[in-house]
Amino acid sequence: MPDKPLVIDGLTFKYKTRPELALDNVSLELKQGELLLIAGSSGCGKTTLARCINGLIPRSYRGERSGKVLLHGREVADLQIPEMAQVVGTLLQDPERQIVASNVFNEIAFGPENLGLPRQEIVSRVNQALKRLNLEYLRERETFNLSGGEKQKVALAGVLAMNPSILLLDEPLASLDPASAHEALEVFRSLADEGKTVILVEHRVEDAISAKPDRMLYMEEGKVKYLGGIQSLPKEIDHTKVKLPAPWVVQRVKALDVITEEPPRPRTKEQGEPLVIFEDVSFQYDTDLPFILKDVNLKIYPGDLIAVLGPNGAGKSTLVKHAIGLLKPTRGRILIEGQDTRKMSVAQIAHVLGYVFQSPTHMLYAPTVQEELEFGPKNLEYDPLLIPKFVDESLSTVNLNGFAEYPPLGLSFGQQKRTTIAAVLAMRSKILIMDEPTAGQDFANYTHFMNTLCDVSEDAQSILSANFSATLFITHDLDLAVTYANSVLLFGDKHIVADGTPEDVLKDEELLLNYRVRPTSLLHLNLSLTAKTGRFLPAESLAAYVS
Amino acid sequence: MLVTWKYRPRKTFIQSLDPRTRLIFFFAVILGLTIPEIWDYRIIFPLFALSLTLYFLARIEWKDVKRVWPYIFVLLFFIVGLNGLLSGRGGPSSVTNLPSPVVFTVPFKIPFTDIGWDVPITISKMWFAITQMLRMLTMAILAIPIPYTMDPNIYGTAFRQLGASDKFSFTMDLAFRFLPTFARDFSITMDAQRARGYEMEKLKGGITSRLRRLAPLIIPVVMQSTVTGEEVVDAMDLRAFGATQRTWVKADLRYGPRDYFMLGLAATIFIGCCVLKWGFGIGEYFVPEFFLNLFS
Amino acid sequence: MNNSSAWEFGTRQVVYGAIGAALYGVLSWVTNIFPLPAAGNVTFRPAVAVLIFFGVAYGPWVGLLAGFIGNTLGDALSGWGFYWNWSLGNGLMGLVAGLVMSQIKDFRAQGDIIKAVIYGLVGIAVGMLFASLTEMFVGGIDINTALVGYFVPAFIGNAIVTVVLLPILMIAFAAVASRRGR
Ligand SMILES: Nc1ncnc2c1ncn2[C@@H]1O[C@H](COP(=O)(O)OP(=O)(O)OP(=O)(O)O)[C@@H](O)[C@H]1O
Ligand SMILES: Nc1ncnc2c1ncn2[C@@H]1O[C@H](COP(=O)(O)OP(=O)(O)OP(=O)(O)O)[C@@H](O)[C@H]1O
Ligand SMILES: [Mg+2]
Ligand SMILES: [Mg+2]
Repeated sequence: MPDKPLVIDGLTFKYKTRPELALDNVSLELKQGELLLIAGSSGCGKTTLARCINGLIPRSYRGERSGKVLLHGREVADLQIPEMAQVVGTLLQDPERQIVASNVFNEIAFGPENLGLPRQEIVSRVNQALKRLNLEYLRERETFNLSGGEKQKVALAGVLAMNPSILLLDEPLASLDPASAHEALEVFRSLADEGKTVILVEHRVEDAISAKPDRMLYMEEGKVKYLGGIQSLPKEIDHTKVKLPAPWVVQRVKALDVITEEPPRPRTKEQGEPLVIFEDVSFQYDTDLPFILKDVNLKIYPGDLIAVLGPNGAGKSTLVKHAIGLLKPTRGRILIEGQDTRKMSVAQIAHVLGYVFQSPTHMLYAPTVQEELEFGPKNLEYDPLLIPKFVDESLSTVNLNGFAEYPPLGLSFGQQKRTTIAAVLAMRSKILIMDEPTAGQDFANYTHFMNTLCDVSEDAQSILSANFSATLFITHDLDLAVTYANSVLLFGDKHIVADGTPEDVLKDEELLLNYRVRPTSLLHLNLSLTAKTGRFLPAESLAAYVS
Repeated sequence: MLVTWKYRPRKTFIQSLDPRTRLIFFFAVILGLTIPEIWDYRIIFPLFALSLTLYFLARIEWKDVKRVWPYIFVLLFFIVGLNGLLSGRGGPSSVTNLPSPVVFTVPFKIPFTDIGWDVPITISKMWFAITQMLRMLTMAILAIPIPYTMDPNIYGTAFRQLGASDKFSFTMDLAFRFLPTFARDFSITMDAQRARGYEMEKLKGGITSRLRRLAPLIIPVVMQSTVTGEEVVDAMDLRAFGATQRTWVKADLRYGPRDYFMLGLAATIFIGCCVLKWGFGIGEYFVPEFFLNLFS
Repeated sequence: MNNSSAWEFGTRQVVYGAIGAALYGVLSWVTNIFPLPAAGNVTFRPAVAVLIFFGVAYGPWVGLLAGFIGNTLGDALSGWGFYWNWSLGNGLMGLVAGLVMSQIKDFRAQGDIIKAVIYGLVGIAVGMLFASLTEMFVGGIDINTALVGYFVPAFIGNAIVTVVLLPILMIAFAAVASRRGR
């Protein structure tokens, strides 16, 4: 009998630069054609385990390793790189950082070229990989211009061209719209059916389930907490740490008898003077490029908590960049508190409207968190005596007290993200706009800060409710819209397709699917319970309504 | 800000040449002019005409280069002017110190000081300026079309087939891969900081504090790139980069008859310049009779 | 954090050489378009600090590749053609600065920062001297022009940029590296 593709036995690892164990006595065996899902919160060691499997540990990362990792019966550490690369194919989280060539053909050929294969062989492997993933139409394209989903598929094709027997996918779905993520998962499933062993790292268990994993490995702090099938509900898995399907959460909450308070009712829309008005806004990036926005009309009122949904590349970011004046409309106009953005500088608008960009690494620069937070208020020439107060308040809002003297670039990703939000909060703008605030963050982390930020209920006493009048966020995570918004905008085909309360907009499943938003189990559960609840609730709170 | 690499496929003589031929030809002309230090207009002018012809054969659209030419001319005049102002002993342009009739003088003064001198413009200097401009243009207009007419995906391969190592050649490819990414990152950072009230126009204070105010733009982009790098290193190792001698799939560049013709021409130019200068002493600077006559 | 020999040339050097080149190219191109603060005939190219930083952080090969390829890309993007001697001069700048890499232990320490700045200045002197002097043969200028018209302004401009920005970059990098811990 041939050896198992992967056997891990008593694997323990400690990074040289860290005192604590990153992996603690992990054991695992995989069969050919098996699909394993690995889940766990941020920092639990998923990527470290992946690095042990693909040989980067011990080859590139220094530390102390003990235990065994056997690929088809041979110890990883003893394999040569080219052998290694043909056994395990690794797809990293961010295709942007994995694609090394400027055009698709070269990208897929890269691995086989490195193996020194004959030219004919390489060309035929590239063609096979393209065909397997239905990507022939991209063959001659530049990699830079591909959409996020296409990039991810091209990166996968590059890995497949090496003919690996094991595929290792480390959070491959981040920043894809739900439909693209679903398509990617179906591809992973079919690769497993063809006999490849697939290891999928993903903390959004809910989404990953559509790839029908055979087993699931759940980790906490470097240890295996659960390893087994996923049909029955695994009690060991903490629903506050990873995102589970809503029925599981309900079941778990009931079984454990957790008492969950119902979140306060969101403030009802305060009608009144709109803060932001889009009037017939059309926009194109250049005269010879197509229109991205066409006759968009939108009003943001005090009290709004708006979620913007829509496919990758639809123009959501383009839309909100207009609100802060980074882009000016080609036709139509935008009014901020009654003033035309054409007549205002971005800095002037920033007094009213704060914009948090998607990636924290695009804006953090200062040597300390304190200085990072002072940057905005100083630019806006606020009273120097008031600035420290603003800074302190926003730090405690995002739960970063005590970090004022830390270098922001040395913080973890989640902390960095919160720093950027605090940096915008410190500017005391009335409206907060966030572009995909939860992308690349783990579940526990983002639930925490979304709870804080969106707690603008009547009785909330946070400084947020005192300062902020409205919040708008772009997201690919439908559940965020279900849980936190009091208004949902569906954007697609260059304009706003639907605008209304979550309960109204999200009940039209067909409409959602048309715009690449896939209904989730939380949405389904909520829809089936609206008669009783009267509004959308997070999964924990729904438990009280399910008999 | 999108860095659009201005390359476009065209059916032209230039673009039908092997990229290696074009690189070799370009260097043959540059080295032919600079190593034996050719300053004789009778050699420079034909080469200039040749460069100009090749430039036109490339058929670059005027709108692509209309911003470039004014710059090139300003640069040329700047160099020529500076040389006229400062020239003294040593170096090729000391030829301008040859006794030669002064046509006019330009008074020159360093602003806010009393330091200044009269710069005499002689016939010799004027002819030198003309030769100098022609000579530099000859080199420049060979290089200007390259980004417009050479497929960025082929540089790595071309260098590889010229004998560069796998690693150097791939560095070229990878640099092209990252260029648009960082340009985009830079503009995102710029937007993100502007949304925090940062205004580049408002750079105030002395040189140091103005430069310091650039930190919010530069630091995020650079630090982001160092983090990206670590993942790219991993990704490349995992696909066996550097394990053995690579195959370059696109490396089936072949020289055709027109390439051999251009390569022959390149060799002739380079060897010709060397032989003329070192073998026959032809190629030194001199002011031709007809130019002198203009002023008499 | 990197105790391999300064002259090793592997995947890491290829990647950071390319990244340095792309960044240096883009940033030079940006400053070519929007001229920044200037004094007299000295114009500043803040990108130079980035080049020196890549040398200091990743060694001489990376400095050389980033400077040479980066300058070439920057000029090509601006549409100016190719000035091989300036590209080589930029490569030398990065290479010489890179010689300090193995001596840098802590990117935050004052002593190490001063060392890096000194190597950077030497690099700038060597690189710009090379480019200015070769310009005598390429552009037909004489030695006075080369020194007074080219070398001095280029040296002063690049030196100021490096003295001001290199320490800031190094301190920021120390924080990034601490998180990464490789
Ligand atoms: N290169 C490294 N050097 C030192 N420590 C590291 C390194 N990479 C990760 N760690 C540490 O090891 C632990 C496990 O990290 P790992 O990246 O494996 O977690 P993860 O489960 O993949 O998290 P995430 O969901 O955020 O990707 C963390 O405490 C992390 O800080
Ligand atoms: N600076 C630009 N120049 C030209 N085209 C651009 C520019 N920025 C974005 N685009 C194009 O505009 C379209 C909309 O982009 P945008 O970033 O607004 O989409 P999005 O809805 O935010 O997508 P995602 O969900 O992937 O973030 C895309 O086709 C994109 O390629
Ligand atoms: Mg990870
Ligand atoms: Mg977007």
